[in-house]
Amino acid sequence: MAVLPRRIIKETQRLMQEPVPGISAVPDDSNARYFHVIVTGPEDSPFEGGLFKLELFLPEDYPMSAPKVRFITKIYHPNIDRLGRICLDILKDKWSPALQIRTVLLSIQALLSAPNPDDPLANDVAELWKVNEIEAIRNAKEWTRRYAMDN
Amino acid sequence: MGNCFKRSTTDDISLLRGSDSVREPSSDPVGPPSYQEALSVQSSPPIYHPSPSLTQSATQLSEEEQIRIAKRIGLIQHLPTGKYDGSKKIRECVICMGDFMVGDALRYLPCMHTYHMTCIDGWLMRRLTCPSCIEPVDAALLTSYETN
Repeated sequence: MAVLPRRIIKETQRLMQEPVPGISAVPDDSNARYFHVIVTGPEDSPFEGGLFKLELFLPEDYPMSAPKVRFITKIYHPNIDRLGRICLDILKDKWSPALQIRTVLLSIQALLSAPNPDDPLANDVAELWKVNEIEAIRNAKEWTRRYAMDN
Repeated sequence: MGNCFKRSTTDDISLLRGSDSVREPSSDPVGPPSYQEALSVQSSPPIYHPSPSLTQSATQLSEEEQIRIAKRIGLIQHLPTGKYDGSKKIRECVICMGDFMVGDALRYLPCMHTYHMTCIDGWLMRRLTCPSCIEPVDAALLTSYETN
């Protein structure tokens, strides 16, 4: 494997030394560009109490292109589809090399606190979120309990 | 936010597959001159980035794209450069996260943010914005032309 860029080494060290509250990101033993991530569901959100597994991969030209991030744990959220793909501007056209793994994961955590059904990735979820938010939140809590607890 | 549906092709589900770049062996020895030589971004074969998530080798580019890249190189080269003399408040390049060392080649953007020349040039070829403040570099350049 090619030499790991200094930036990736630094980011990894800083993530280990000063972890983000509610987020753990650990590089894979065999691939330092692949991170096993766990995000705790934010308080006062339907995801509270859940532990959500994600995978994060730093592509070859990182930080010139954004990390690739995906939820592994099933989650009921208008901006996350059934394959775990996330609709988040900084992962697409708003990426900047001044952003980091840390800021990406914080943004994902914030997305859990503030679902945006007007910019959906999971259309059926977004639709329900708009027409019957109470039921959508009930579903999100149920999915959190079923898929993101005690695993 | 937005554009998520349009971008689905670059969003491959298998993250471990690594780079989704399309790399072709440099079988064509008479491709257009590489901007990397001028900007010392990467070594050969010539690889271009029409957009941040898109990677193409020189041989795949249309004439229109080549012209666009040439214009982009010209614009980037209008941005002031200098060598780090150790006196500035800024110490770290946010792109490579390396400390500036005395003698390092720097580039100054119109918004006053400073980066290693090799680091920022690689980004500006992909997108003409300052990584730190997202200020469009070309608009700021035009403004500075008008006011000077």
